[in-house]
Amino acid sequence: MRIGVFVCECGPNIAEHIDIDSILKTIPSLQEFEDIELIVKRHKLLCSKEGQQFLEEEIKANGITHLVVAACSPRDHESTFINVCKKTDMNPYLFKMVNIREHCAWIIPDKIEATKKATRYIRAGIRRVFYQSELLEKEIESRPDVLVIGGGIAGLEAALSLASEQRTVYLIEKSEVLGGKSTFYSRLLPRQQDSWGLVAQKIMDVEKNENIQVFTETEVERVVGFFGNFEVVVKNKKDEEAGTELKVGAIVLATGSGLLDPTRLPAYKYKREDNVYTSLEIEKMISEDGTINFTPGEVPKTVALIHCVGRDEKGYCSRICCTYMINIAKSLKDQYPETSIKVYYRDLCLPHKDDQRFYEDIKAQGIDFIRVLDTRVKGTTIVYTASNGSKGEDSADMVILAPAMEPSQDTEALSDILAIPLDETGFFQEAHYHLNPVGTSTEGVYIIGTAHGPMGISEAMLQAQAASGKILSRLIPGEKIVPEVKVAVISEAFCTGCQTCLEVCCYGAISFNEEKGISVVNEAVCRGCGNCAASCPSGAIQARQFTAPQLYTEMIEAIR
Amino acid sequence: MKGIAGKGVFLPEKEGINKSILGFLKTLLEKYVFDGIMVPMRVPAKNSYAWVLVREPSLIMKASPLAPVMPVQGAKALKSLTRKGKGTLNFAVLMRPCEIRASIELTKLNQIHPEKITLMSIDCPGALPLSDYIQNPEEGEKRFEALFTGESWSDETSKPVCQICDQFSWQPASDLHFGLMRGQKKGIFLISNSEKGQRVLNEMKLQASESVSEWKKSIEDLTKKRQKKREKRFEEVQTMAKGFEPLLETFAACIGCHNCQSACPICYCRQCYFNSTISRPDSDFIFQKAEVRGGISFPMDRIFFHVGRMTHMSLSCVSCGLCSDACPVSIPVAEVFSYVADQTQRTFEYRAGESGEDAIPITRYRMEEIQGVQNIVHQAEGAMSKDG
Amino acid sequence: MANQLTIKKSSEQGLIDFLTFLLETRKISAVFTLRETGKEGVFDYGLITDVQMLKQAIPLHPFMPVNAGQELSRFKAMKKQVAAVIRPCELRGFIELIKRVQGTPDHFLLISYTCGGALRFASSLHGKGDTNLPGYWKAVEKGENYKEIRPTCKACEYFVPMNADATVSLVGKNHEDECVLELHTEKAKEMAAGFKGEYSEEGTKSQIVDTLLEKRKAEKTRLFQEIGSVMKDLGGVVEVFSRCVGCHGCSRVCPMCHCILCDFESHLFDHEASVIEKEFSRKEGMRLPTDTILFQLGRMNHMSFSCVGCGMCTEVCPADIPVASIFMKTGSETAQLFDYIPGRDIDEPVPVTVYKEEELSKLG
Repeated sequence: MRIGVFVCECGPNIAEHIDIDSILKTIPSLQEFEDIELIVKRHKLLCSKEGQQFLEEEIKANGITHLVVAACSPRDHESTFINVCKKTDMNPYLFKMVNIREHCAWIIPDKIEATKKATRYIRAGIRRVFYQSELLEKEIESRPDVLVIGGGIAGLEAALSLASEQRTVYLIEKSEVLGGKSTFYSRLLPRQQDSWGLVAQKIMDVEKNENIQVFTETEVERVVGFFGNFEVVVKNKKDEEAGTELKVGAIVLATGSGLLDPTRLPAYKYKREDNVYTSLEIEKMISEDGTINFTPGEVPKTVALIHCVGRDEKGYCSRICCTYMINIAKSLKDQYPETSIKVYYRDLCLPHKDDQRFYEDIKAQGIDFIRVLDTRVKGTTIVYTASNGSKGEDSADMVILAPAMEPSQDTEALSDILAIPLDETGFFQEAHYHLNPVGTSTEGVYIIGTAHGPMGISEAMLQAQAASGKILSRLIPGEKIVPEVKVAVISEAFCTGCQTCLEVCCYGAISFNEEKGISVVNEAVCRGCGNCAASCPSGAIQARQFTAPQLYTEMIEAIR
Repeated sequence: MKGIAGKGVFLPEKEGINKSILGFLKTLLEKYVFDGIMVPMRVPAKNSYAWVLVREPSLIMKASPLAPVMPVQGAKALKSLTRKGKGTLNFAVLMRPCEIRASIELTKLNQIHPEKITLMSIDCPGALPLSDYIQNPEEGEKRFEALFTGESWSDETSKPVCQICDQFSWQPASDLHFGLMRGQKKGIFLISNSEKGQRVLNEMKLQASESVSEWKKSIEDLTKKRQKKREKRFEEVQTMAKGFEPLLETFAACIGCHNCQSACPICYCRQCYFNSTISRPDSDFIFQKAEVRGGISFPMDRIFFHVGRMTHMSLSCVSCGLCSDACPVSIPVAEVFSYVADQTQRTFEYRAGESGEDAIPITRYRMEEIQGVQNIVHQAEGAMSKDG
Repeated sequence: MANQLTIKKSSEQGLIDFLTFLLETRKISAVFTLRETGKEGVFDYGLITDVQMLKQAIPLHPFMPVNAGQELSRFKAMKKQVAAVIRPCELRGFIELIKRVQGTPDHFLLISYTCGGALRFASSLHGKGDTNLPGYWKAVEKGENYKEIRPTCKACEYFVPMNADATVSLVGKNHEDECVLELHTEKAKEMAAGFKGEYSEEGTKSQIVDTLLEKRKAEKTRLFQEIGSVMKDLGGVVEVFSRCVGCHGCSRVCPMCHCILCDFESHLFDHEASVIEKEFSRKEGMRLPTDTILFQLGRMNHMSFSCVGCGMCTEVCPADIPVASIFMKTGSETAQLFDYIPGRDIDEPVPVTVYKEEELSKLG
């Protein structure tokens, strides 16, 4: 064993506040290092190109097996020096960086005191490195495949953008069919295209694509791992057996949304009166029959369209309702030209390029737009407070509600499984509102479409393409990744299977082996955070590079 | 006694409480309600007691449902039975309340699989110090008899921690409880707490028809007395345990045998951290320490062991007192550890062994907790910023 | 070189002076010995580097809080010299550990003494030690077994140290009169060089040592017979060990039990439910936890032939089982089969590591 101790001057940063010469004299003279071969030197700036070269040469020339560098914070240059070690025969994990800049030079004005502390820290570092072990890094190939959760329009688009010969896409959908909610929308603004037609094309493309594997009636059960190396278990709802394991490099959440159930809002009498419908029910009618059916044979004299149902309760605008409601209004007017159609709205959200003209047109057709503060349904009457404060009542044979858009029912469960937080609205939280709208707090997991928040089909497509772009550029087939090597290790002989470590692991990296009655670390998933090692009372689990003897020795030395 | 059933089965006492209980247990075996029942039994040399899992009905008549001493914590015995799986046979165990509580804690730590175990608890007057009993078993038997059958259970002859125990009766986590009624109406109340307990009553064709209110009141009265005693005693123990110097003083005679750790039911580690080589200092370090202080004691790190053990098991300590029994140099380990456990459990609003659902605080995270500690931190931060 | 050093002070003070000399002249870096801690009636072993602290030393007191051989084995090889004052059985224990590569002797100056026995815990703690001391020293002077010493001490025939660098003569002398230190090895003689005292050739062995030896041998025979009569069969073994609580304290304080994880605490003895149930179905009742007696027999099997009879096991047993007497008997009789005496010779290999074609003929 030959320990190289290099003290960096860091320009004037350390040199002016610490008496490096005295350290160079003191350290080799210490009795406890009598039997250890120490090489102690100084350098002006170890992190510089010249400094790194100096270090490399010193290691090689002196046959140094263990390295201690006393310099700045490891956060700055630990990786720099590890890379230097990698150029030599030395194992890069037999290296300890001691911070004598932020911890000594920069905070202690008295040079003697600062030097004393630095000396103590360096001693501690040397004692510690003695106990460190060689660790071998392993390279694994990052997995280029992608899991898309949700077979709606966003999921379909993402799958099509990503799939290639080198990249399989696993598309899972919890219902029996692909397409999602947009299959129900009849005509889309502005060109009144049939939504189903658009979606159907995408579904066909997906089904034809050999690089996309579709799993219907399937849900995600478990996800562990990290970007480039996720291990996922998906399960078919009808299957009794264990789920299927998939290994992917990235995950796209396209789980869509639902609509608020208006039965929760008694003012609208949904399901209590026969004549109250939701917009979705109307859309379904149109797509099935091409018409909006009132009681067969009869023509409604008045139809009320109520916007913002549940907006206050939810606390956000659902963005697409005004657009589709004016569409429904037009369909109604086209079908029943004599019927009086009134739209009760709070604000009008018509942001798209063609919305304004459409709105003007249908107003010209005789559809009334009444701005209100609140509305209530009373039998076949709408009771409302207009925006100027006056009260009004209108008759309504048919009432159509535009309920708020809600996160889908699986959102909370998926949030747990994927460790992605939800925001106050209950939708998935994006990484950054402006700068990273499709990313999440977990690298490699993306959120697109209405899983992210209320949006229309064109926006959902945009997000799908954005997420795909990110994945295509960052998850390159054949690329190598080096998983964390400073992982936790459990000793079989000492583990009693109490599962305390399992409970405190936030990465899902520990599992329980029933036959042996012990816990086991999945080294590919472990991030080396050390929570488990801290929680184990017996020391049966140790974190590599931060084992109890290493920490104990360093601490004792540092505080002595 | 939150959640206790209002009614129980009353079994009048015939030929003494012991025989009545044993008779009941015998019937349980004869009717195959259980394949085996774990009870304490006097050892052949008649100078101690050991846990026996009894299969043969006639053998159980030789057992003692409540032994004068607790040489092995019942939870430990139960652990040896069911650590590696729940097995196929139905067993019942009759244990003291602290043993039940320790079993609950061990269940949370995956050291006991209780699916096929019916936990039966019994009112406990306390246990005698083990060494006292072994030195003179006859005298010990007499003393315990007096304790057991006496009208008052606030006796001075039981272990110090037993004298201040406020959880000596019905346990929310046991399946069936044997409440002991003294006074005019001598007998045993069988109180079911769970489906398992109910099954026993059903199979024995017993109805819970008698009100337990009288018995309950007597227990609640005694509990209040004990709680007062406990508070008072803890005030005294504080001087033994609060701070480094007092601890050094209290544990001065400790020889590092670690008997306390091996007797403790909660200490479940296969190899105690403090027995391993992980924390053993090397000679250089020993020497340096000696040089700084002029001299150091052996074995080293006495207080490190005790405070470390406290850190690891305090949240689950059930104050059973086996640690003191096991200590060869008569250190009042149990009282010190009980006092500390009381404090730490309070901090997390947790009571060891009370509920199988309540996760041990170290395995759960709450954003708002340890308010007391947080307040101290905030105070300190405030003070620091004032100093500038 | 002279091999006897007489110091005209009490045995303890003379020894302390000698140790002080060694420490002051830096011939040693520290002293390992019994000392008073200043707390009421509490003593322990200490590693002392400061001469001032030697004043608290009580090197020859009949106390044994831990087996010092066990503590000395914790020291890995180092350049510093340590003078250790330990009992003959602790020294033998240390030698046995050295044979198993659990310690090295090179950096120790091993000082022992002719031993009148160690007091039981009950007789040495909480102030009781002081009350027993006068009676104890008298017995040592007369060559008798003081009543409060450990049962195995009363039966110990190896009270004259083997393999010490230096030995203080206590048995048969008035410990207040003088300190007689016999220097056996070159190392001891070199260390002593320069110390002011009376040097001479070895004096005549005290007759009282022989008297005590006879008494001890007689007691050993008696004790072994007593144990043997109770534990003559499995029933007897069960009866004696039936109150064992399985704390394994005996193993932990035993110098010979150096295993980091005892077999009996490992996975091996954690039985599957099916195994337990099978065992249960064959009996009327089954004791729990299992393997209580097996642990005792297993431990006997593993180490009893190296047992030095220090008595620590009995002292820590919460169930007052006379573990030391039992193990000493079994151990001594087993070792006899191999002509082995634990701690006698550092080069004598441990019987389990040796194979001879002709041995155990009695059993054959």
